[in-house]
Amino acid sequence: MQTRTRNTSVLIGSVLIGLVVLAALLSFFWTPHDPEKVNAAARLLGPTGDYVFGTDKFGRDVASQIMVGARTTLYVGVVAVGIAAVIGTPLGMFAGMSKRWLGEFVMRGNDLVLAFPALLLAIMFGAVYGASTLTAMIAIGIATVPSFARIARSGTLQVMSTEYVLAARSGGRSRFAIASRHVLPNISGLLIVQASVSFAIAVLAEAALSFLGFGTAPPTPSWGRMLQESQELLTVQPRLALVPGIAIAVAVLGFNLLGDGLRDRFDPRLAVGS
Amino acid sequence: MTLRVVRRLAILIASVFVASIVVFVFMAVLPGDPAQVALGVNATPELVAKTRADFGIDRPLVAQYADWMGGVLHGDFGRSYVTREAIGPQLIDRLGVTLWLVGAGMLVALVIALPLGTLAAVRHRKASGTAISGLSQIGVAIPAFIAAILLVQVFAVQWRWLPSGGWTPPNQDAGEWIRGLILPALSLGLVQGAVLTRYVRSSVLDTLGQDYLRTARSKGLRPYQALFRHGLRNAAVPVITVLGLQLATLLIGAVVVERVFVLPGLGSMLLDSVAARDLLSVQGIVLVLVVGVLLVNFVVDVLYTVLDPRLRGS
Amino acid sequence: MRRLHVTALALLLVVPGCSAGSSAIVSGDPNSLSVGFTAEPANFDFTGTDGTAIPQALLYNVYEGLVKLDENGKVVPLLASSWTVSPDRKTYDFQLQPGVKFSNGAPFTAEDVKFSLLRVKTDWKISIKSKMDVVERVDVVDPAHARVTLSKPSNNWLFDLTTRLGAMFSPTGVADLANTPIGTGPYVVAQRRRGDSIVLHENPGYWGKKPAYSTVYLKYIKDPTALNNALLSNGIDVISTITAPDSIPQFENDNRFNVVQGTTNSEVTLAFNDAKAPLNDVRVRQALTYAIDRKALLDTAWAGRGTLIGSMAPPTDPWYEDLSQVFPFDPARAKALLAEAGQTNLSLRLRIPNLPYSVSAAQVVASQLADIRVKVTIEPLDFPAVWLKQVFTDHDFDLSIIQHVEARDITTFGNAKYYWGYNNPKVKELLAQADSGSTEEQIVKMREVARTINADAAADWLFLFPNVIVAKTKVTGLSRNQVSESFDLTGLGRV
Repeated sequence: MQTRTRNTSVLIGSVLIGLVVLAALLSFFWTPHDPEKVNAAARLLGPTGDYVFGTDKFGRDVASQIMVGARTTLYVGVVAVGIAAVIGTPLGMFAGMSKRWLGEFVMRGNDLVLAFPALLLAIMFGAVYGASTLTAMIAIGIATVPSFARIARSGTLQVMSTEYVLAARSGGRSRFAIASRHVLPNISGLLIVQASVSFAIAVLAEAALSFLGFGTAPPTPSWGRMLQESQELLTVQPRLALVPGIAIAVAVLGFNLLGDGLRDRFDPRLAVGS
Repeated sequence: MTLRVVRRLAILIASVFVASIVVFVFMAVLPGDPAQVALGVNATPELVAKTRADFGIDRPLVAQYADWMGGVLHGDFGRSYVTREAIGPQLIDRLGVTLWLVGAGMLVALVIALPLGTLAAVRHRKASGTAISGLSQIGVAIPAFIAAILLVQVFAVQWRWLPSGGWTPPNQDAGEWIRGLILPALSLGLVQGAVLTRYVRSSVLDTLGQDYLRTARSKGLRPYQALFRHGLRNAAVPVITVLGLQLATLLIGAVVVERVFVLPGLGSMLLDSVAARDLLSVQGIVLVLVVGVLLVNFVVDVLYTVLDPRLRGS
Repeated sequence: MRRLHVTALALLLVVPGCSAGSSAIVSGDPNSLSVGFTAEPANFDFTGTDGTAIPQALLYNVYEGLVKLDENGKVVPLLASSWTVSPDRKTYDFQLQPGVKFSNGAPFTAEDVKFSLLRVKTDWKISIKSKMDVVERVDVVDPAHARVTLSKPSNNWLFDLTTRLGAMFSPTGVADLANTPIGTGPYVVAQRRRGDSIVLHENPGYWGKKPAYSTVYLKYIKDPTALNNALLSNGIDVISTITAPDSIPQFENDNRFNVVQGTTNSEVTLAFNDAKAPLNDVRVRQALTYAIDRKALLDTAWAGRGTLIGSMAPPTDPWYEDLSQVFPFDPARAKALLAEAGQTNLSLRLRIPNLPYSVSAAQVVASQLADIRVKVTIEPLDFPAVWLKQVFTDHDFDLSIIQHVEARDITTFGNAKYYWGYNNPKVKELLAQADSGSTEEQIVKMREVARTINADAAADWLFLFPNVIVAKTKVTGLSRNQVSESFDLTGLGRV
């Protein structure tokens, strides 16, 4: 039963993410229409064969915008999670492998960063450097560093207390060697889980930021901004809000499910023992 | 244990200090001149320079920081460049609104999560347990602002049961106050409730698998009885940690929800102040938010120490 | 479990339509009125803080001037019951309304006229105060008679008196302008809840007609959709100006509401940086003007509401003429002009304030210019702070889109230092002649100015912002046009 749920989670999650990735990749080669092309004559059309999800108030094809918007979403997620992983993982490993007080110190600094949530950082960054996809990504990335550092540290602490690492240490292996040979491979599962969950959070944060006007600048399609632009038409054309809303939910759900499924698979107690 | 709490307190104070410097430096590099904004288009450079001097923003940064922090320690956040009003009382007013919102949101989340999460854990082998888990997954995937837009559309615009936004202070009209709080609290709470449900479920599941509960059950106690008599305290520890993290999320999530519901809380004050380059206000708001998060983390840490039997001895 | 499902389903199903259901929120007191606005005043001192929000709330309602502007753009008496102008058009004699008191009890006399008009030069901080530089002296002939002498004849001066610049203050009431405004108007500020509302109460000692509503709540709701929702859910009675145009039909189709549409002074302008290459070349500017289909832009960006104008003059100005067809939509011609100017590979930065109309219009402009192979990058900037600094003050832009809301702001084309950097001595001269000439001369010269800047494509006037007021049917007397700085509450009535 437990295994089946886990596999179902991974499966459904992968399918949902696959959909988003496919839409994004396909959009590089083909979209039904130019997503940025304004067409006064095709304003607010309902779904038809030509316009699968209809058009928005600028006469732009909603389906094409969703496809290109998937690119924005993935782009933000990849860069933000990338930043967080590249900074957070070594930081956490360092904290886990160094002297107790030093580790503590690093983690306190980590807690301090945690006090600046993504949204707050992004609003501040946007105010300084101008709101853009880039500032949003960096802000979300920095705000996600602490989660990676925490996971990496606790994983590292566990690995460091295993017998084979103790043996390697007494054998005179350098710290760097231990870190790269033993620690990193053993905590990579945990990190992948964290990446998946963080990705979901990044997608949500980007949507909220674009909604507030602190994210992706127009006319580049973004799901959050599509939602924001559709608000005044909610009563008349709810489809305009539902389509990007569902797209956001699909992406978030996908990454959360994948993360959940993988978490069971990479359970720390199992990972360390192997 | 006392030592641990004292150490935590020292860390808290140090963190607040560092955070205040970070916030200050950040604001100092913001483009846009508050004096220019106040004077509007076509103001002469002389007048701008004079206004900058009036605001005290022509002095060295260190002096500005010392002045600001010195004031903040006495509860004086300075006088806004834009509104020419003292910021402190304004902050307290707005914080009040945000705290009510966060509190109500948390309540909604708990009311959803505690029973559903426990149920999902106890029945995790049954269809209903799986269904709750699935629903909570979907709930997590819906951003608070989408929930907010939908709730307004249904309950305010279509059915006209509840106000679409706005704020009535509780001492002015308690009934209106509650009515105005319902939709924002639901928007915040539903999503957080879904998140929390998952943690409650896994925490209770863990506890159910512990030896002492198995023993209790083998003595003939039903799962709920065993859980309530022996397991709740253990299950509560991780939940409280998450709750703390969530409080921080709610505090920030309130920024968006306040926008949708036009609530005069800290979030809308932050966005307005950023747009108007009311730097002193932004500085004050960010500091309050950050210190708020740090405080919550501190309290969670202390609670953790008190509740966790393994840490209590040390 | 099942119940949860049903609720969720109901939520989704209900959204699309169905405006059934009873009204649970009943607007209470018939003597009170709630008006929704988007821009909140930072404080109550329009002598020290610029922007339209403060005069919108206070002018004509709390503060009054000697004269006011009616909804057709005509100057009519207010605190001055009448006035005469000397033959050399430099001396104005104002006869004052008797029995007028400030809300702090002080009587209003010619001394206050002198105090207020001279105070603009000495104590005001905002830049438009320079419009009063032309005042040479103010004399108190007797308590009910003030005489103003100008240094040169000026048609603009009397008009400017209808704005906040003409507001009458008492020497006893200027101690705390930012928080305690004291004027002669029908209302006094009773309460303010920052981030939410300002409450106005009837001024019991008001000299004129008693207002129809004794309490008026000015509600500030920044988000256009939230503003609509507030009216739809009975949270407010009036939306001062709709800024979500696609939502207008839902009010027109609902018999609870009245929709009034008129014009404003507010030209939504695509500004060119006339002083900087490549837009210092008139051919490039004309090419861009030909390339933009303003009708399509208005239809998509603002749901077809608004007026196509073609120059910097709204229909309520006496010298208005429709110049919107001088540069018809003609992409081929646009491309030819660009080729002629040697600009076939143009890339421009469109730096806009992050406001709904601007963000909407910018996307249409970018798409239409892409059709003539001009690459446009949209950069939304925080408004007002960053836009004012970078675009308006530092002139760091190629294109921008903003509403020019001030009345008769066509005069800015006479100022070469203004952010669009338009420098044409002929226009400067025409403007000076218009200001000092007779009323007839003024009209002729101003028309000439409007034609010249249009022909030069000094900017592209995309459309004139519409004034769309939505109100519950119980509210009467809404003015169709919004041409003054004030949201004038005095004309309102009730069924």
